Amino acid sequence: MAPADPVPIETSHEDMIHDAQLDYYGKRLATCSSDRTVKVFDVVDGEAQRGAGQTLKGHTGPVWQVAWAHPKYGHILASCSYDGKVFIWKEQQPPTQGWQRIKEHSLHAASVNSVSWAPHELGAILACASSDGKVSVLTFKNDGQWGADVFEAHAIGCNAVSWAPATRPGALITPTPVAPGQPAPTRPAPVKRFASAGCDNVVKIWGFSEDTQTWGEEDVLEGHTDWVRDVAWAPNIGLPRSYIATASQDKTVLIWTKDSPTAPWVKTALDPSGISPTGAPAGKFPDVVWRVSWSLAGNILAVSCGDGKVTLWKENLKGGWECVSDVTS
Amino acid sequence: MDPLRLFPPLFEEGKEAAFLQSGRTLSAVPSPRDNTLAVFATTLTDAHALRASGSAYPPEQDVYTASLDLIPSSERRLFITDTSVIFAAFQNLISSTARQDTGIQRAEQTLTMMTKLALDYVNFTRECWVHASQPVKRATPLQYDANHYRSLYTCLSLFVVLYLPESSLEDAPVGEELMEWLNIHFIEPTSEEGEQLSSQDNPWEDESFWPYITRAVLRGLSNSSVFFLKSLARHPSEHLQDLAEHLSPLLESHPRITHFSTERDFVVAFRRWKERVKSIRLELDRVPEKERRDDYADWWSHFSNIVGILEGRDEIIRSICTELGGDWKEVCAAWGVYVDHRLRRQDLPDAVGHILDLMPPDPTDMEDMIHAALFSGQPGSALTHAAKLDVWLAAHLADLMEPMDLLDAEVDDESELSARQQHILAYADYLRSDPALWRITVDYFCSCGPIGKGRADEVLLRVPIRGSLGPDGAREDSTDVAERLGILKEVIKTCHEYERASTHRRVCSIAARDFLREKDYGLSISYMVYAEDWRGIGRVVDAILSEYVLHGPEDFSRSVSTVAPALQELRAHPGASGVFVHRLMFAVRYAEFHKRRLGGDLPEAATDVLAMLSEEIAPRSWWGVLLCDAVELLRADGLMLFTSFGAVQLLKKLEEVLTRSAQGSGEEYLSVLVKTMQGATEKEAIYRLKAARLVLAKYYARCTMIPIGGRDVLVSHAGI
Repeated sequence: MAPADPVPIETSHEDMIHDAQLDYYGKRLATCSSDRTVKVFDVVDGEAQRGAGQTLKGHTGPVWQVAWAHPKYGHILASCSYDGKVFIWKEQQPPTQGWQRIKEHSLHAASVNSVSWAPHELGAILACASSDGKVSVLTFKNDGQWGADVFEAHAIGCNAVSWAPATRPGALITPTPVAPGQPAPTRPAPVKRFASAGCDNVVKIWGFSEDTQTWGEEDVLEGHTDWVRDVAWAPNIGLPRSYIATASQDKTVLIWTKDSPTAPWVKTALDPSGISPTGAPAGKFPDVVWRVSWSLAGNILAVSCGDGKVTLWKENLKGGWECVSDVTS
Repeated sequence: MDPLRLFPPLFEEGKEAAFLQSGRTLSAVPSPRDNTLAVFATTLTDAHALRASGSAYPPEQDVYTASLDLIPSSERRLFITDTSVIFAAFQNLISSTARQDTGIQRAEQTLTMMTKLALDYVNFTRECWVHASQPVKRATPLQYDANHYRSLYTCLSLFVVLYLPESSLEDAPVGEELMEWLNIHFIEPTSEEGEQLSSQDNPWEDESFWPYITRAVLRGLSNSSVFFLKSLARHPSEHLQDLAEHLSPLLESHPRITHFSTERDFVVAFRRWKERVKSIRLELDRVPEKERRDDYADWWSHFSNIVGILEGRDEIIRSICTELGGDWKEVCAAWGVYVDHRLRRQDLPDAVGHILDLMPPDPTDMEDMIHAALFSGQPGSALTHAAKLDVWLAAHLADLMEPMDLLDAEVDDESELSARQQHILAYADYLRSDPALWRITVDYFCSCGPIGKGRADEVLLRVPIRGSLGPDGAREDSTDVAERLGILKEVIKTCHEYERASTHRRVCSIAARDFLREKDYGLSISYMVYAEDWRGIGRVVDAILSEYVLHGPEDFSRSVSTVAPALQELRAHPGASGVFVHRLMFAVRYAEFHKRRLGGDLPEAATDVLAMLSEEIAPRSWWGVLLCDAVELLRADGLMLFTSFGAVQLLKKLEEVLTRSAQGSGEEYLSVLVKTMQGATEKEAIYRLKAARLVLAKYYARCTMIPIGGRDVLVSHAGI
């Protein structure tokens, strides 16, 4: 099917954009830039509304990533920067306008490269990955305070974090229909788990022990031969198994799958050789792959490669991965 | 694979290398709302470091939104919404059949209904084709042209012919029906050709004369062929005159299955007719070699070909089709009419396979590939090609195919989806390109088992139900609120319809929080109850109580009046947690107190304040406020509103507040009172309470001077 014409949104950032994220409803766009600011735009039908949007200032270095919290917590945005800080912003309710910084997290000793909100079922929890090799987990507590767990994750540095869905894969497959108005059946407590990607070429899976109230390393995914630039845990809407996508400096994207809670992680490399004009070797992209993002249903993976192209991948019915489209200028 | 191209381009054609050399690359993030991507140029490193390395890039920092699908517009939108009604009817039919006992009669009724609905699709696509073909000026251009809808029409109608025949024709020879389908959709010879020939005195002199008649015979169009054969009565060759005269009645009497009540009669008639064909062949062979041509053509060969068709000679039919520009479809249809006139539906794939080996379909023409797969009895393959032509077709064909056992209903081990589900999910994913189509999208998703329902949940959760507040905090106008409530109710109704209890609660919870933000406490509390969000109810009550602190008793009473009806509902709710209901009860009671106080009903107000304290309806943090309210009543001119027992109760509470505050629980006992005394400290609140103690003590002293402690007596002693 022929694609529609896109319409650009002028961000008025004064320097390079590093991240753009649409909120839960896809109606607001947050961007962040080397100009040390975060901007928020209302987007209707792909076009920005209300002029230039709102500018959130405070970082003293390039802002690498932004992340929207679930709407049940209000309009909340997290940003992380080269300045080693993580800010949490909250949009003020009228008549006070604008965004207020409600938390400044400065427990990292180097650039914070990635921030990711946990699934809303777990509470307002934010994981942060830093070049100091540590991962921190900020938890908003009932008393209105923020708790922070900071722990060593990857030697040299940590590039990205991504949370596992709160419900186990397959949990949807055993339906327990409940009529609205009836109390919901008791469900098992949601799992607090996330993946981190590091400069030590591995991806680590971290789980929270409710008994000891600490984070522990559950698994190490080895397969990349250079820095792991990004990790994205797929939303498990309707997916029978767990999926993790990782992008690396070694020019590969690996898809890790786990069929059941006890099964091992199995990796498959995306193979762009069929679409690469340069005839790159099987399983290798033409350049560094540095960003992987899943669609809402977890059925499409967007891969950003250093060759200036974004490719979109889908799992075919035989379990293989196919490139279904690419985005180019 | 269609690439998505940015418009206007981020860099010009051929400038890719320069773009990359500037240190930049492209990134994209999928939108949760629809099938769009936010696309932007970025860099892997800090831009300052990049510039320090001498890299230059333009100052514009744009974010593009690019849709993965062509967003349905114009006639396509109408097509989608109208066919979704047929789809819904089909789902109802299948689910009601599944609930009922199966039996032969029931199965037949279901099949009849299925055929009817399939024909609805056929007729609707035909209407779309006709509509799109009209050469009228349109407000918006068509998104898909007439030819696209024609393709859908031919495929669906072929499907009905082959797989959903009338029950009386199910086991009957299929050739005649195939020829009818071909003649409806792929008209040959054209009426223009016929008109052009009929305008001539001696049409056989035209080079299209024999091809026209041959094709008319091949297509079983006896009226056309006989009309022109009659013109041969004027042909100079007597042989041809005779042959034409003998052939015409043969064509007119060609036995058609539709004209017979039993197949036996048809077969007997066909055998007899074939004998007559033989005699014309003998007559044809008797024409001397040298008289077989006229000045314009080798009429004998053409005539021989026509007789060859009637004789059912497959190689002649094939070569004629090729010569006339026909394809495998025409051969297949002619095969069923002339070569194997008893050809059954179940035998069709073998016959077609033989023909397709020699005359393959056009692999670049998806419509042709779908036809070939349907003729060959390969429904799965037809769906694969249909998905390339239009995901709509694949989804709706798959939906028809599964209950007819043409597709395996079992789910695949790898994807945990059945074939039907895969195609319908693909279509529903396409519908997500327009969030306004959420109702239809959800209908399609929800027909695909737990996986589809999971995806439907995400769509339902993202239906825009949030209001926007103006810069002054004012809500949008009442029409917008009504519209939003309408949408919200629709979402809730859909959740009920598909038993999405958890989604229902989440939607209600988000709506309730929005209403709370907008200070619409009545709606907020109702939706908190729907969401079974008991903590949320606590937050609404807290917000209402803070109205008292911030704006005083009038605003507070107004707010409470909006939530009071919910209290009744809450008490009846089995899951409602005591603590939050209790807090709401206090708010309602406290508002009543103020209403009475402001309305001058001081005796009742005094009863209220005493009851709220002594029955511990009021939370501790409010005791101080209530005691100060009581002081106002204690000071009422000439009135003794409390009994001495009541005054003692008040004193006891006051002592508890003062003692516990002195012990360090000031926050617990005094927080609200401090807030009501704008800018005051805890110390000042204590001072105020001490003043209240003095008033109470004086009041109690007056009580002791009056011999009887009953309030009514006190009142009468006071001279009222």
